[in-house]
Formats: sequence, C-alpha cells, structure tokens
Amino acid sequence: MTPPCKDPILALAERSAGDKLWPAFPSGLTLLAVGGYGRRHLFPYSDVDLLLLVAHSRLAQEAPDAISSFLRTLWDSGLRLSHSVRTPEECAEIHDQNIELNVSLLDQRFLAGDRALYARFAGRLPRFLHAQRDPLMRNLTRLTRERHEKYQNTYYHLEPNIKDTPGGLRDYQLVRWLAQIRNVEAPQTESAFLFLARLRCFLHSRCGRDNNALTFDAQEQAAEYFAAPGTAQWMREYFLHARDLYRAAVREMESSEAQSSSLFAQFKDWRTRLSNADFSVARERVHVRAPHALASDPELALRLFQFVARHGIRLSSETEQRVAAVAPQLAEWFSMPRPVWPALREILSLRYAAEAVRSMHDTGVLRAIFPEMAQIECLVIRDFYHRYTVDEHTLVTLQVVASLRGNREPSIKRYTDLLSEMEEPALLLCALLFHDVGKGSANGAHADASLCAAEPALERIGMPRPERELVNFLILRHLEMSAVMNSRDLQDPATARHMAERVETLERLKALTLMTYADISAVNPAAMTPWRAEVLWQLYLLTYNELTRELETDRIPSAPSESPEKRAFLAGLPMRYARTHTAEQIDAHLLLDGLFRQRGVAVSLEKVEAAWRLTLVTGDRPFLFASVAGTLSSFGMNILKAEAFSNSQGTVLDTFTFADPTRTLELNPTEIDRLRVTVERVVLGRQDVRQLLQNRPKPALPSRNSQVPPTVSFNPEASDSATLIEIVAQDRPGLLYDLAAAISAEGCNIEVVLIDTEAHKAIDVFYVTAAGRKPESAQLEKLRDALRRACGG
Amino acid sequence: MKKIEAIIQPFKLDEVKEALAGIGVDGMTISEVRGHGRQKGHKEVYRGREYTVDLLPKLKIEVVVSDARCDELLKTLAAAARTGKIGDGKIFVYDVAEAIRIRNDDRGEAAL
Repeated sequence: MTPPCKDPILALAERSAGDKLWPAFPSGLTLLAVGGYGRRHLFPYSDVDLLLLVAHSRLAQEAPDAISSFLRTLWDSGLRLSHSVRTPEECAEIHDQNIELNVSLLDQRFLAGDRALYARFAGRLPRFLHAQRDPLMRNLTRLTRERHEKYQNTYYHLEPNIKDTPGGLRDYQLVRWLAQIRNVEAPQTESAFLFLARLRCFLHSRCGRDNNALTFDAQEQAAEYFAAPGTAQWMREYFLHARDLYRAAVREMESSEAQSSSLFAQFKDWRTRLSNADFSVARERVHVRAPHALASDPELALRLFQFVARHGIRLSSETEQRVAAVAPQLAEWFSMPRPVWPALREILSLRYAAEAVRSMHDTGVLRAIFPEMAQIECLVIRDFYHRYTVDEHTLVTLQVVASLRGNREPSIKRYTDLLSEMEEPALLLCALLFHDVGKGSANGAHADASLCAAEPALERIGMPRPERELVNFLILRHLEMSAVMNSRDLQDPATARHMAERVETLERLKALTLMTYADISAVNPAAMTPWRAEVLWQLYLLTYNELTRELETDRIPSAPSESPEKRAFLAGLPMRYARTHTAEQIDAHLLLDGLFRQRGVAVSLEKVEAAWRLTLVTGDRPFLFASVAGTLSSFGMNILKAEAFSNSQGTVLDTFTFADPTRTLELNPTEIDRLRVTVERVVLGRQDVRQLLQNRPKPALPSRNSQVPPTVSFNPEASDSATLIEIVAQDRPGLLYDLAAAISAEGCNIEVVLIDTEAHKAIDVFYVTAAGRKPESAQLEKLRDALRRACGG
Repeated sequence: MKKIEAIIQPFKLDEVKEALAGIGVDGMTISEVRGHGRQKGHKEVYRGREYTVDLLPKLKIEVVVSDARCDELLKTLAAAARTGKIGDGKIFVYDVAEAIRIRNDDRGEAAL
C-alpha cells in the first residue's frame, strides 16, 4: 500500500508535540508508530498505537504533565489512542505476559523526536530479534494456537470475525511476523489481504466503530456493496481467501516450530522410518517420492491417503499442491465405474480416517472421486443453529466419530462401545459423507436428494449391494431419530415400536444411533449437550429392547401366497429371519430344507468375503447348537457370528460365520468336504464332538490388559415364552461350544441365538426354554454358575 | 406480574410454543433440565446391566406476564402440554417484584 501524501495523524501529533511535548523534552524522547499504524494498515475507527520511547525512565517521571497533556490533545481531537511509554531497555526484553509489546515493535517506524535515541534503539532491535528468535516465535505460535482453538480450529464460521477467526487478518499478520523474525520471505497472501482489508474498511464504516463481526446482515450488505452476484457466492469467495490465509498461517507456524527446537524436530523425525517405496516422511510431513507419477497413476493418490489415514501424518505443502494440480486428471479417471471402494473402505476404516478425508477434501481429490460433493462446497446454511458450512459440517461429523474412539467419559463411552460393536464403521463414515449432499439441490427434503446423489456414486465405485443397502438406509433415515427425540413421547410404547419398525435390525439401529450422534454433534460445538446425549441414548435403549423382545416373540405368520413347502418352512421363524435374509438366501435355505427331509441333515459351506459361512438345516435335538460350535472349534475355526432359528415344525436353521486363522480350508480344499461331512456325522450322532475336541490345541491365554470381565445376565421379561441370557465375555476358541453345552447340560433348549464378536470381546444372546416354558429361577441360578465357569475357560 | 415456570415433556415444546404464540406470548426462556417428580425413574436392561433412568429429561419454560394475562396463559400452557399421562410435568407461579429492561431502564410491565 502506498502511504498517503500527508499523514493527518502525523500532522496532528507533530503540532501537539510542538506545543506540549518538545518544550519539556528537547531530547531523550522519540515518538514511534507501532501496531497497525506502524505498518500503515490503519482502518477507520481502529486504535492508533503510539510508543513514546524515553532515554531513561527517570525522564518520563520528571515531566508527567507534559506527556499526559500531549496525549489528551490527541484524544480530544477524536483519535482512539493506545499508547505506551518505554525505555529502549524495556523494549529489548522478552515479555512472556505481554507478548503484544514485543510483537508491536515488529511494525515500528519513526514519527518525530530524538533521532539519535531512535538510531540507538533501531540499531539494537535486529540483534534483539535474532537473539530472542525462539521465545518470540514460541510465544506468537502459542497465542495463535489459543486463538484458533477458541474458534474450533476452522475458518468455516457462518458469522466469522474477520480479524480473529482462523483465516482472518490476524493470520495475515502472523505470517508476516514469523517470516520477519526468521528473516525469510513471507508467502504470497496479498490478494486475501486486500479482500479482507476492503471488507474491514466497509464493516468499520458501516458500524461507525471497530467492529469485525461479519454478521448475516453485514454479509448481505457487503455482497451488495462489492457488487457480488449473490450473498452465498460472495461468502464462498470470503471462505476461499480465509482458507488461503489459514493454511499459510498453519504452515508458517509449523516451519517455525520445526526450526525453533532441534529436540522437537528430532522427536518428530523418528517417523521417517515409516517411509516406504512410494512415500517418504520428513519433519512430520508426507512427501511423494515420484510426484510426476501422480498424474499417470491415480491409485498412487489413493495409496497416499491410505498412508495419511494409517499414520495420521499430513501432506507436505508441496505434495498438497502437486495433488491439487492433478485433481482434474483424477476426476476424469474416477468418472468411469471402477472398483475404488476397497481402497476407500480401507481409508475410512483406519484410525486417522477423518484427517485423510479432510486432506482429500482440501486437495480436491474427494470431489474428483465424488463430483456430487461439489454441490455442498462452502455451501452456507443461513440460520443460527448451523455453525458450519455444509461441507465443513460433513468433515466435522467424521471427526466426531473419530473422537469417540477410546473415549472414557462416562456419558460418551456408551457411544464408544457402540462404535466398537459396528462390523464395518467405514459404511457409517461413507453414509456421513453423503448425508447432507442433497442440501445442495434446490427443492424437497434433503435426505431424499442425498440418497439420489449417493446411489449412482456408490454403484460407480463398486460397493457391494448389501453394504450399499445399509449406507442408503442411513442416508435416507438420518433425520429419523432426531425427529423422534424432539416430537415423540419416549415413554409411549408406540414410540419404540415405531422406531423398531423403521430400523428393522439391531445392526441398523446401532449405525443410525451413531449417525445421529455425529450429525447433531457437528451442527455446532454446543449442540450435543449431555441432556441430548441422554435422550438419544434412551431412544436407543428403548428401541434395542423392543427389537430384542420381538426377536423371540414376533414370528412369521403363514404366508398364503407362497408355495406349500415355503409356507411350512417359514411359519414360526422369527421376523428377524425375514428381515435379515434376501429372497435368494431364503430360496437356498429352502433347498437345504428339502435335502434335510431326505437325509436327516443338510449342510452348506461357502466363502464370504474374508470369512466362511456354514448353514445347517436339521431337526431339533439337545446339544445340537453346541455340537456344531464344538466341531468348528475342533477344526481350529474361530466363530465370529452365529444365529440359530427354529420354526414351528421343530426344524432348526443355524448359521455360523467363522474365520479360518490358519487358512486350512483355503490351502487344503479337501478339508472343506471333511469339515462338512464331520458336521453331518456329529449332527446325526455318528461322531462324538467331545472326542474331536480332545485333540484341539490349547488356546493362548489372553494378555492381562485385554481381559474382559465376564457378565452373565438373565432377562425373563424380554420375551413371552423364553428367558433371555446375555453373556459378555473374553472371546477365546471354543467359548461358544462351552456356553452352549452348559445351557444344554442344564436341560435347557436354545430357541434363538445371536452371537457377536468385537475384537476380543464376545457378546452372546441366547433365548432359552426348558420343557417349552421359561426356566425356573432355581434352574437359572445353577445355569448362571455353569456359564460363569464356562466363561473362565 | 407473575413468573410462570413450567416443567414439560421435551416432545411437547413445539406445541406449547405455538399455543403461547397463539395468545401473543413470544418471549420465554427454555432450558434443558433433568429431574423427577412422582413419576420417579424407570429401569432399562441393557447388556445385562440394569440401567436406571432416575433423572428424566425435561424442559423448563419460564415466562413473566402481567397479572391480567396469567390465568389465560396457565390454561393455554396446561392444555398444550397435557397428554393425560404420568410425567406431563408441573407449573409453578411466582410473584415478581420488579422487571427492568437493561437497555433503556424500562420498569414494571413496560419491561416485559
């Protein structure tokens, strides 16, 4: 900026000083401009910062009247004056508590007075800056981080303060100060500065005071004043500039930190050993070894973000720019249907998924993969409830999910547990990515529009159908739970029934609860009050209990439209069976049912994704479920999930999903047949499962810190005809066999089973009866002891 | 002047707000509170543990009105918040000694 021909403030100060100041101080006093005035960035109604430099503190004490009379004259003429009186020695000290004094000197310039004194001071200043470089940078960085923290470290605010919010004018100054202290050239941020400077002049003139809040009203007026096509477009421009400044500020702070402490640098540099053939890590930043390959190898970009998601290390600014530059080529490549989902799923499953997705968003890669996201980029929801723009809100939801991991806060930990029970958290994150995309289209309910955008996108990236169904469900119903929380009586049994009908399965309920938690939390930092978290949790509990209750109680009535065989097979199976199985699966089970009628047992074994699934149809008999579980254990298989259903004819359908940790079945195809035949023989009573188990290898003892204390609980009220037993225990090979055998040994019959494993924790739910009724309490007490023993191994 | 403090079921908020707006009462303070009256809490079983819900989520509405409007407001509020079941909440009425609008020092009913 060019200085004006004649500075009116200087003229005023010279005149006043001539009258009041110089008579008392013929020498030994210098008038300096500091702060905004010093750097010639003075805005209307802003403070004018003056420093009165005195040769000795004694001098100032001798003539206090002259100084105050001088300042009063300036004050009375309408200047908002902010002054300080210092000796050169005071200026050359680090003031940890008053870092502003040190910083204001960075912008000092001579106005009037004793030139010799100024020359002495100005000669010392560079030496001071050099000697005190580290504490200065540290203090500046600390102050800035505190300021950014206050605004949740994001430049997206619907009513930003254009001076203090991240990406505001303070960040512009910070970048220049740090560069000045380090004696390097400041990065180019002039266009952002000019935008903000003009805006600040406008805001100050508009209010007639030093007001930097860009409120909704002010946004509308500013858009009009600067002749923008619309308020939303103009705000988008604001956000783009703020983003540039914020990124420059973060980069400068990081470079300063890296430089200011060799110890810090060493600590951070241990991560260099994470470097691999594609990427290198230096100074806590990822670099691509062959950046030119990014344009020709789009999968390299995906691997790059997998690397970020795995290690939580950010891209170097050079890499960021390189990736952003090839985004158009990537967009072209991703616009064709390609199996991108496995790579994306990995990114979304890793610990630092939220950081990786943010980085993909910042470099334009996310939009290259999903052009649908362009609709919500910097999209402003103009109300007071939504703090962030839509894209930022979306990224914050992912951060909320990440922040759940390992959270011990009691009111939050229950959501943490829920997350650890999710089979595929990547699907939740994927649904969150798309849940508000529909806000970008003009009309109608946004959940529908989001689904319309997501469906073709998910198909294009090759997400398998069952997973797509869950994601689609979550997107379409993402407002359901908050709507029920706000408008339904939770104590009314109809509410739980309504919710249960909507979600249909426990799996969906868990995912939708987490989705709602993340969505509300990301509206603004205060939106998820403990009160709301409690209401949401109650809704989850009520629906959970409703779903588990009907698991046993609600049975499929006979369906007259089906064939007689199918009707007979389905009659009396739990409703859950119909909900969780596709028509093809039901037909396959029907075939097994036919086979069972001829041979007394029917078993099928197939590979599903990374696991195997065994399906068994046979007539009910004691120890059946336990025997099959035991047989699988004797083959070294690890049971991940199991379900047992029985229909009204006493036909049992059991499914076991299990992992094959030693890849026995994969490497020895003959073992597949041997396993199937062995299960058939055990079911028909031709082989004793206890004999099989005698040869089984002893399970490794779990490590001390991963011990899960076993809990065994009974709930006789959950169902009309059976008692629900819920067991949470440390998982180990053979656990399911031991539990099921204990139940059968007590003379109880297993009606329905739901087995789930999360890491080393097994969550098993059995619905048991004894002689067709709920077991007596004495029997249950014996059973509790037996089950506790079984948990212990 | 009277201050009316109502503890209501959270899901009734929209209805209550609309009903009050219908008789020309727009200003109110709403806070999220937890507590129990004679309804007490209830128990849920989850993951084998009994989960006692002893403090139920409620909303508290506070309104200050002139004496003349008090009865009408109480009737409207009670009608809108009522479901007829346990847990509907309670309404308390207090005398207010003075009201002051901070901005311009208006006093009494003028400040409402």
